[in-house]
Amino acid sequence: MKTNPILFDDFVVGGELGTHQADYDDKIAAAWCAIFGTSQPEGAQGAGVAVALMMRSYLAVAAPRPPGNVHTRQRLALQALPQPGETVRMRVWCAGKEIKRESRYVEIGVQAAGDQQRPLFGGRLTLIWAA
Amino acid sequence: MQQLPTTTLVVTGEAIGQYAELTQDFNPLHLDSAFAATTRMGGVIAHGTMSINLILHSLAKAFGAEAVVNVDLDIRFIKPVRVAETLTAGGERESGDARRYAVWVRGVEGEDRLVGVATLGPAALG
Repeated sequence: MKTNPILFDDFVVGGELGTHQADYDDKIAAAWCAIFGTSQPEGAQGAGVAVALMMRSYLAVAAPRPPGNVHTRQRLALQALPQPGETVRMRVWCAGKEIKRESRYVEIGVQAAGDQQRPLFGGRLTLIWAA
Repeated sequence: MQQLPTTTLVVTGEAIGQYAELTQDFNPLHLDSAFAATTRMGGVIAHGTMSINLILHSLAKAFGAEAVVNVDLDIRFIKPVRVAETLTAGGERESGDARRYAVWVRGVEGEDRLVGVATLGPAALG
């Protein structure tokens, strides 16, 4: 288990960070409904769960992180909604990094597939990396 | 549709804690007021992606599930969201492209918290 935080200099553009798997189970559904309610339009929950799982994958794989990272931009392309009971598998990689105005920007890519490898969503998280 | 229907959420401390559980994001910036006070944020802030859910709600309310199945979002987080803030999400169609909406989440004073573009896939518009 890695104990030292991942630093900006550690990222290799195009390099795999790892994979993460999560089940869209009753616990996740209940947690989402506790925040956003149960009377949501069709599709809102599945899309919101996709966002949550994308965050889970990044946090699980790019760890430990230095304290103080700031999430500045989020891109998300949905192709299908995860379904309750489905297992979502996500690949996480470093999609880019650069220094702008003395800040260290890291772009994390996430690509997700569901059961039978069906494509679900892809995303890019842009963060100011703290160290 | 020229304007997306708006969606509102009150961001309580409890909701931030629940969103931390949902995303497994236990960054003390979201949960520890003593720690957060020492950062440049000056206090606890909500997770940015919590607000994205409001955009998705507006799109789903406007166009149904097909909109969120076929959407591309590009969102920039402009200003932190504080505990107890009331957020409203909405958007307007961009001129010249029926598929593109300028989307936003704002606080009660009307100041942007996030802004971005939602591009709907062909199936989303029926």
